[in-house]
Amino acid sequence: MADLAIAPAREAAPESTAQLRHARMLSVGARCALPVALLLGIGFLAPLVAIFGYAFATPRSFDVFTSFTLANFATLFDTTNTVWLSFFWSCGLALLTVAILAVIAYPIAYGLNLVFGRWSALISVFFVFPLFVSENVRLYGWVLFFIKNGVLDGTLKWLGLSGGPEVLYTPGITLFGMVYTYLPFMLFPMTLGLALVPRDLVDAARDLGAGRLFIWREIELPLAMPGILIGMLLTFVLAIGATAEAKILGGQSIIVISHDIEIAFTYSQNWPLGSALAVLVTFFIGALTLFALSKLDLDRMLGRR
Amino acid sequence: MLQTSPAAPQSAELPKPILQLVGIRKTFGAFTAVENIDLDVREGEFLTIVGPSGSGKTTLLRMLAGMDTPSEGNITLHGQLINDVPPNKRPTCLVFQSLALFPHKSVGENIAFPLKVKGVDPAARKARALELMRVVRLPESYFDKNVMKCSGGERQRVALARALAYDPEVLFFDEPLSAIDYKLKKTLEKELKDLHRETGKTFIYITHSLEEAMVMSDRIGVMRAGRIVQIGTPEEIYGAPVDRFVCEFVGEVNTLKVTRGPDGAWQGVDVPGTFTLAPPRSGADLKEAFVVVRPEFMRILGPGESADNRLEGVVYNEYSLGSRIQYQVRVGAKVMLVELSRGRALPASADRKVTLGWDAADAFTLES
Amino acid sequence: MGHRRTNAAIWTWTLFVLVAIYLPIVCGALASFNKSRYFGFPIKTYSTEWWQKTLDSIEIGMIVKTSISIALLVTVFSVVIATFGALAFARYEWKGRRFYQKLILLPIFFPQPVLGLAMLLGFNAVGIQTSWMTAVFAHMIWIVPVVTLVIAIQVYGFDPSLEEAAYDLGCSRTQVFREVTLPLLWPGIWSGMLFAFLLSWSNFPLSLYTTGADSTIPEWLYAKMVAGYTPMVPALGTMATLGAAGLLLAGGLIGLLLRRRAAA
Repeated sequence: MADLAIAPAREAAPESTAQLRHARMLSVGARCALPVALLLGIGFLAPLVAIFGYAFATPRSFDVFTSFTLANFATLFDTTNTVWLSFFWSCGLALLTVAILAVIAYPIAYGLNLVFGRWSALISVFFVFPLFVSENVRLYGWVLFFIKNGVLDGTLKWLGLSGGPEVLYTPGITLFGMVYTYLPFMLFPMTLGLALVPRDLVDAARDLGAGRLFIWREIELPLAMPGILIGMLLTFVLAIGATAEAKILGGQSIIVISHDIEIAFTYSQNWPLGSALAVLVTFFIGALTLFALSKLDLDRMLGRR
Repeated sequence: MLQTSPAAPQSAELPKPILQLVGIRKTFGAFTAVENIDLDVREGEFLTIVGPSGSGKTTLLRMLAGMDTPSEGNITLHGQLINDVPPNKRPTCLVFQSLALFPHKSVGENIAFPLKVKGVDPAARKARALELMRVVRLPESYFDKNVMKCSGGERQRVALARALAYDPEVLFFDEPLSAIDYKLKKTLEKELKDLHRETGKTFIYITHSLEEAMVMSDRIGVMRAGRIVQIGTPEEIYGAPVDRFVCEFVGEVNTLKVTRGPDGAWQGVDVPGTFTLAPPRSGADLKEAFVVVRPEFMRILGPGESADNRLEGVVYNEYSLGSRIQYQVRVGAKVMLVELSRGRALPASADRKVTLGWDAADAFTLES
Repeated sequence: MGHRRTNAAIWTWTLFVLVAIYLPIVCGALASFNKSRYFGFPIKTYSTEWWQKTLDSIEIGMIVKTSISIALLVTVFSVVIATFGALAFARYEWKGRRFYQKLILLPIFFPQPVLGLAMLLGFNAVGIQTSWMTAVFAHMIWIVPVVTLVIAIQVYGFDPSLEEAAYDLGCSRTQVFREVTLPLLWPGIWSGMLFAFLLSWSNFPLSLYTTGADSTIPEWLYAKMVAGYTPMVPALGTMATLGAAGLLLAGGLIGLLLRRRAAA
């Protein structure tokens, strides 16, 4: 009997709190999110709308939102247009960057979690710090290293050898530059991902007779996957948009897609064409990112159990 | 398929030890977690190691399971030294405190994991997993269920089935029931005991709860500060504790410090009076001793009733323990505990003057 | 044991990668001490001449001032917005939280050169003249999400019952925030401030399109790398790096003290 008396009251509870929330208009959480949401609404989404508007404007004009034409997209989809070549270069380089970085970063991420112990924090700082140095400066350092009579070439000649290889201004060095620049973006999500693997599970698997490779394949890799995937996605997306590596190290031996966009905006003063190209890139990246992010539980990744 | 061997024989001849520990020490830097432990584990027995947190019991278990190596001493299994044998090469298996179920695998995949490691083909894996699910009383429909969606008790059973799938000679348990509510814990304790009988395997169980240990074990080892202070059957631990620590571990007790007076009689230190004591088990001639009386052996004397020892006091508090009632009785500055069955409860107990009494044979005389 | 060998291999690999990461920075530092205008190695004559010239340059002085102004403003605005943003991200349970958590990541998962161009278009569309002040706004679009994540990690480790206890003891909402929430989140907010300043300080792709006629250090360096190299380029680059390192070191030490005090 007592249960029956309590039941209706319990059912009413959520309704009344909902009313309460409605009365206060916005919950505390939503009010805290408001400044960020406004900032991103104005600073991130609105410019994307602007790009979208320009993409349908008359070519070589600045008539945003006043004219409508598909001419820009027609130009892009023309098979003789070299933007497709740029796009494939960008995709190919980005894919290679992701693959190489995964191999480079995995042992380090593993070490940060399980091997370095009290040195982990310091080593992490050393990997973060390059983010605070402009990529121009760092990439130019490689130019000084690889250039004729540079650090490598000069040292080899000084040792009486025939001098360094001529690697500058090639697609290969562009890839090298991308791998170099985006290492932290692979390393840290991967480290977070590996930290998600409870050591108990690895111990348990070992106790049940599993060898190292088996544990890695069956336990560690699948459980660390969310972090690894974020790292891969992040580096892929950033590498697709990269320009500095191709310009500074690659010496424009190849033109990447972002560079094409820049050219349209600067030299050729064709904002609508550049915008159309940017819209395509944005859709490509956006679809990929939204798909991947929709599968993630960020609370679990960043600390809430 | 369960290799059932007859339950531990009751004859006077003890089964041969399966696992032997000789002079085991484990240090972490300057800290000694386990100090000089000698232990013979008999084949097929259910041995429980109890101790408060920090007593070194988990470290001991991790060494037995192969996840830590002893700093000194030898661990032998069937007479073979296994100090440095890694856990995946030992015929032993640990059920973790956290259970360590693989969250990305289903109930069936978890249970079949050790079989997959051994390279058993999928059909046979499934058959064996289903068989083990029956053994641990999990419904067959759970085979494809996500382990993270299982309840606490179900997870417990999955962990157990997974350990059994490995077919170990010795099973270790690291407080697997600590996070489970009381009622379910009681059920699982009994099931575990049944499983021990049915499988005939050697079980080594770690817990901080002596109550849990009493229910399940053939033998109990009590650990304190890295040492095993007493090892014996539950009756021995309860009926003949070696010191106050073991006494107090079993439950709440009344402890009185006594010294020999000039006439050779035992004098109370915190409460006045002379006491009659049973001689200490060691037979040593003591100058000082502790008398320990369990609350259930302390009586409230009615008029005309006699006992070897008497104390006058005032009832201060009463607590209901369900079938029994516990009284706090103030005797001078000391508080003594008395437990009576509900039928013998004192009417209007508050501030009532009472006479407590106990017989020498019902108390322990301990050196420390 | 195989285990030990694996660990040694991981250490070696990590140290090797670290050396590779810092190698170009060292190369830049070397080049800045080269007396002759064009780089050649081994360096024949070392000199601090180019450092002196860099320090004396009025043009560079203005650029440094612009960079610092942008970074300071970005830090102040970002940290305030991101602190609340982090509370919404990790502390409160509210209806749009899941969506908001994803939204905030989008600018991070977006190529900065394209983002910079998009903002240039946006400013242009509404008729705002770009200058270092528009760059502050542009930097924030990328930096606020990063700082939000940095602070959110601290918020995750924060026990909400502490706030409830303070309410229960009679604090008002602002008192709770000032007396409980803020002091406990300080270490995270401090890290967020360092990130904000240093990421703005080193940013190139966003600055390139949004500073208008003004110029930041990375922009100036890029312009001179493409045309008009002198050892002042690596000299200023090295100075900027050292500045960042100094700030990180000082900030890190202060952060460590904050954490220790919070733990005490």
